[in-house]
Amino acid sequence: MNGSVATVGRDLGRILEALGGLVIVSLVVPVVWGEYFALPALLVSALVPLGLGRLLYRRFQGAEAPGRFHGMIVAASGWFSVGLFGSLPFFLIAWSVQLGVPGFTTPAQTATLAAFTEPLNALFESMSGFTGTGLTMTDNEELLPRTLQWWRTFSEWVGGVGVIVLTTAILSRPGSGSLTLYESEARSKKIHPSIVSTVRTIWWIFILFTFLSILALWLGGMPIWGAVNHGMTGLATGGFSITDNSIATYDSVAIDFVLIPVMLLGSIAFPVHYLILQGDLRNFYSDLQTRWVFGYMGIGSALLWGLLYFAGPYETPFAALRYGLFQFVSAATCTGFQTAVDATNVALGRWPSYAQLTVTFGMFVGGAAGSTAGGIKLIRGLTLAKGIRYQIADVFYPETAVRRLEINDRRLNEKEASREFIEAAIIVVLWIVFLVVGTFLLLLTLPSGEYSLANVLFEVASAQDNVGLSSGITGPESLPTIGKVAFLFHMWIGRLEIIPVLVMLRTVFKRGGLYQ
Amino acid sequence: MMPRDLPVVSAVVEAGADDRIFDSLLLIGPLVIGLIVILGRSLVTEAVAIVYIATFVGYTLYRAIRE
Repeated sequence: MNGSVATVGRDLGRILEALGGLVIVSLVVPVVWGEYFALPALLVSALVPLGLGRLLYRRFQGAEAPGRFHGMIVAASGWFSVGLFGSLPFFLIAWSVQLGVPGFTTPAQTATLAAFTEPLNALFESMSGFTGTGLTMTDNEELLPRTLQWWRTFSEWVGGVGVIVLTTAILSRPGSGSLTLYESEARSKKIHPSIVSTVRTIWWIFILFTFLSILALWLGGMPIWGAVNHGMTGLATGGFSITDNSIATYDSVAIDFVLIPVMLLGSIAFPVHYLILQGDLRNFYSDLQTRWVFGYMGIGSALLWGLLYFAGPYETPFAALRYGLFQFVSAATCTGFQTAVDATNVALGRWPSYAQLTVTFGMFVGGAAGSTAGGIKLIRGLTLAKGIRYQIADVFYPETAVRRLEINDRRLNEKEASREFIEAAIIVVLWIVFLVVGTFLLLLTLPSGEYSLANVLFEVASAQDNVGLSSGITGPESLPTIGKVAFLFHMWIGRLEIIPVLVMLRTVFKRGGLYQ
Repeated sequence: MMPRDLPVVSAVVEAGADDRIFDSLLLIGPLVIGLIVILGRSLVTEAVAIVYIATFVGYTLYRAIRE
């Protein structure tokens, strides 16, 4: 047991050190924007995880490399800790403005910022950021200090790739331990034989695409601060915005259509991006997941367009196309940017139930495994669909027949096919179970009659699939405390694909004597 | 001392697609954004941004054809 604690403690320490480093990097923002009152709060927010991380790392420096079990515990506890300590900038800056900082001029407190004086709201915002969800406890993001606008964006940007990927890239510890941790963060494919080279290449691709996204949005008409923030959160498929009505604030066709490829880039696996940059464009159609990113987004968007135009609230084919396409891509890539709001057209929460459920299905499936997107992932959905067909077709073959299941150019024998099918089925079943339980819980805690079943299911799916689209339920006042706690859990399990969190909880309960 | 020996440059060159053009785009990216922040929206900055994106798209297609 002590060995396990040491291994987990050492790697958790590294993750916290990396988080402290991220906050230190962010110190430049209040300096540039003249928000000096945020400096002490941000400095404390950096020093706490940095100090604790350093302490843990020094204490357990000689611990053994993590095995699969440790990897899962590190991933689950690491992501929770990052959410927890990442909430400090929200909490401390909100209190700095509330109480004033001696020697600094502080702006007037706003209801939006005051929401973060509640620790639970600050934790919610942080967890939503790092998991790339995008549901928010703010009423009006425009009123937040630029420092917090940046911290929300930065947390989603880093979280999109993954805190373990970041830690491995910076601290570059080669070997099987880093690979185990990498895999426990819902990634599997490597780009290079070395895991350190792989994660550095992932960051290389991600940073280059971030610059391209920012410039494309700016050319589309977005102001540069908005382009920086939305470029980062769009590519990370996070969805936090710096404006009150998300992307609808700009009410620009050009910006809507520039963001679609940005979100799509984020939902394609990094190893495929790498091959495409090497000149192998065939991967757009030869890679199963990438082919389906386009196929599934195309089919879903066309269906939603049809529903919104022929039976829904939009009167022109172009309006239905503009909002239907954007919202389906935003949902299925798990970004969560919103253009369908009442201020400019018809809010998502007031779309017909069948349209909302189409979007919910998009969120549920999500993007490609190995990308920044959430959901159950396309490869899992495809494995399940092909596996079911394989199992049913089995009846029509003689018992002696040798059959193979083909998935993404891999020919699996019966044993391999069965194992992959079961693994996919377990995740999907658990996903649905938590979705249903969360929906029941929210229905019980929300004021009766205020929201429809479609609204509630939509919101829970949005949290669990790390999307961030809202039917109007999430907010500092509108979402009850139980709902906030439940959503924290949904976002956490959604980002890590459930299993690591369950392994950690089982370990904690078992060792705490609560589970035998 | 060569430019590729500088800390940030060497990290960029060692990772990624092992290609000078892509590496250069990555290194120039912050400068282009910085230029836009300082100069604001103008014909010059818009042209620079267009050239940046066009270089990326064009070069990716060129590599694909060459392959």
